Amino acid sequence: MKYADLKPIMQPKSVAVIGASDKPGKVGNAIIQNYVDVGFQGEIYPVNIAGYDKVLGYKAYKSVCDVKKPIDLAVISVPAEAVVDCVLECGRAKVKGIVVVSSGFAEVGNTKLQDKLVAAAKRYRIPLIGPNCLGVMDTRYRNDTLFLPTFKISRPKIGGVSFVSQSGSVGSSTLDLISSEGFGLSKFISYGNAAVVDEVDILNYLAHDDDTKVIVFYIEGVNRGKEFVELAKSATKLKPVVIIKGGITPLGASAAHSHTAALAGSSEAYKAVFRQFGFVRAETLEDLTYFAKIFETQPPVTGKRIAIITNGGGHGVIATDAVYQSGLELATLSKATERALRKVMPPIVNIRMPLDIGGDADSFRFSAAMELVSQDPNVDAMMMIILFQTPGADEKAAQAVINLASKKVKPVVVMSSGSSYTQSHVKLIEESGVPVYESPDNATRALRALIEYSRYKEGLI
Amino acid sequence: MNWLARATAGEGSMASLMDYYKARNILGRYGIRSARSGYVSSADAAVSFWNRKGKIVLKVLSGKALHKSRMGLVELDLGSEEEIGAAYKRLSKKASRLKPYKIIAQRMIPDGIEIIVGGNVDPQFGKMVLVGLGGIYVEAFKDFALALCPIDRQEALKMISELRSKNVIAPDKKSADVLAGLLVKVSKMFSNGNFSELDLNPVILHDGTYDAVDLRMLR
Repeated sequence: MKYADLKPIMQPKSVAVIGASDKPGKVGNAIIQNYVDVGFQGEIYPVNIAGYDKVLGYKAYKSVCDVKKPIDLAVISVPAEAVVDCVLECGRAKVKGIVVVSSGFAEVGNTKLQDKLVAAAKRYRIPLIGPNCLGVMDTRYRNDTLFLPTFKISRPKIGGVSFVSQSGSVGSSTLDLISSEGFGLSKFISYGNAAVVDEVDILNYLAHDDDTKVIVFYIEGVNRGKEFVELAKSATKLKPVVIIKGGITPLGASAAHSHTAALAGSSEAYKAVFRQFGFVRAETLEDLTYFAKIFETQPPVTGKRIAIITNGGGHGVIATDAVYQSGLELATLSKATERALRKVMPPIVNIRMPLDIGGDADSFRFSAAMELVSQDPNVDAMMMIILFQTPGADEKAAQAVINLASKKVKPVVVMSSGSSYTQSHVKLIEESGVPVYESPDNATRALRALIEYSRYKEGLI
Repeated sequence: MNWLARATAGEGSMASLMDYYKARNILGRYGIRSARSGYVSSADAAVSFWNRKGKIVLKVLSGKALHKSRMGLVELDLGSEEEIGAAYKRLSKKASRLKPYKIIAQRMIPDGIEIIVGGNVDPQFGKMVLVGLGGIYVEAFKDFALALCPIDRQEALKMISELRSKNVIAPDKKSADVLAGLLVKVSKMFSNGNFSELDLNPVILHDGTYDAVDLRMLR
């Protein structure tokens, strides 16, 4: 088989936790506690050589071989030197998938131990994620191997974004961020050293996973470059894959004999491959969430004409600058739309783009402006700027935006910034499935990412 | 030691520079245009290459010289016996410390936009093709686009559209098409051949066509 089957790892019916502990604060305890907290529906088998009777109320076993029942997933959290034996036992017990949380392998220079681990997994043909990772999460399936207590890191709500991170720290902090954003998570995979299951296996699994609408990837390198490219050609046509690569190698670090080789360093090659094969390249970690939420919630769009509606003049100007600077265009309204707007807007409102509906705009004005502009054939996507500091911008105005955006005729992003009053309304809007950004610049970057990907998918330049 | 110093010292890898003439023949087989040229081993030979027609260029080829023009190893715009004789003498003197070297005579290509087209083998992804602003601007602006080989016409046009200097290099559809055609050919040649690095720098875009006026091909 070309790609590892990750289903037993992501959606197990039974989980053995090897290195289970009854002492709170230990990793082997937190993992089981989390399974309880998230409400896992399958069987749980704590395993520890110490021979506990029970861990958190579950009958415990000395070895995974003693369970004598089918085991889909084994989560291994024992000292590094004991891991290989555990994997071999899993093989004998016919475990279908493994996550090794333990560290102390190639990441600290112990490549010999990692080689043994790989050999053990390959001997029994078990897909193995890790070592040196946080493991996996499937929000719908309530599978959660993370050893991070639920009170320290919020678990995102169920949604369509699957987030993959080679690094555990980027993974957990971004996960925490995602939970505060208004979009939901399908799966989370932290794959650490990529000793057995690597980014190619994961990309393949998620590309074909029906619950995943958007894939978000943090990588530090690719193990199998050619296979990665081969798979990417089809995967990025199925769904957007937002990607960021950490670890820049200095330009032309190798011994170059030509200008070309001096220019075309490793980071440049990654960038080129991402562009060429339809990845959505993120420049910063923030981009990962900015892009994820627009892709999860908004319809695709290949046109570049952006309509801006604002209740603040300055923000409209800055947003217009951002639109032009990013290579998008400001929409020009049709005569019909202009006439219709003129009829409903008060005389102080200038009927042109960006449409400044005034600092005294109320829910009626927001609603009317959005309704008319969204129907204009000259408009491809919309940016709504709502500054809640003004008297008329209240919950009703937020609701007006939500009502229109929910029709999903054209992509809508909202720009809003401010403190507590604003934040409560931002939350309302995001929970309805409309992405909100704190600056016109971020809103524009997200729109551009959506447009560029939609164009790639349609075969347009 | 930076990459430039290494390259000019000829250290650092087993890659070997292919003979200019041989390299030019390979370009020809793929229909890639390059300025007509020939080795000359005396001022007289250079004069007969000139053959009293137009202008020629003389330049020194040496594995030890990556930056020919910066090192004063290119003599442009030579259109008389005297000019050619004097230029040949100057170059021979400068080149004496760059042995082994050869002097090449080349038809002078009209002024135009100088670009670089090249190839490189990435250790992770494989053979890649590059296009960018060329000549003396390569390092100053680092304005280039890269793609994995092989590329088709559409990918070539995408690469061109990525360049900051796209409106200078390919100001209209016709010039973009000419350049895209060249990129597809270079990608094909680089994919098929046993190369490790390739520089066509500069390629001069002129009069609705192009000519590679300098090249480095490494096995």
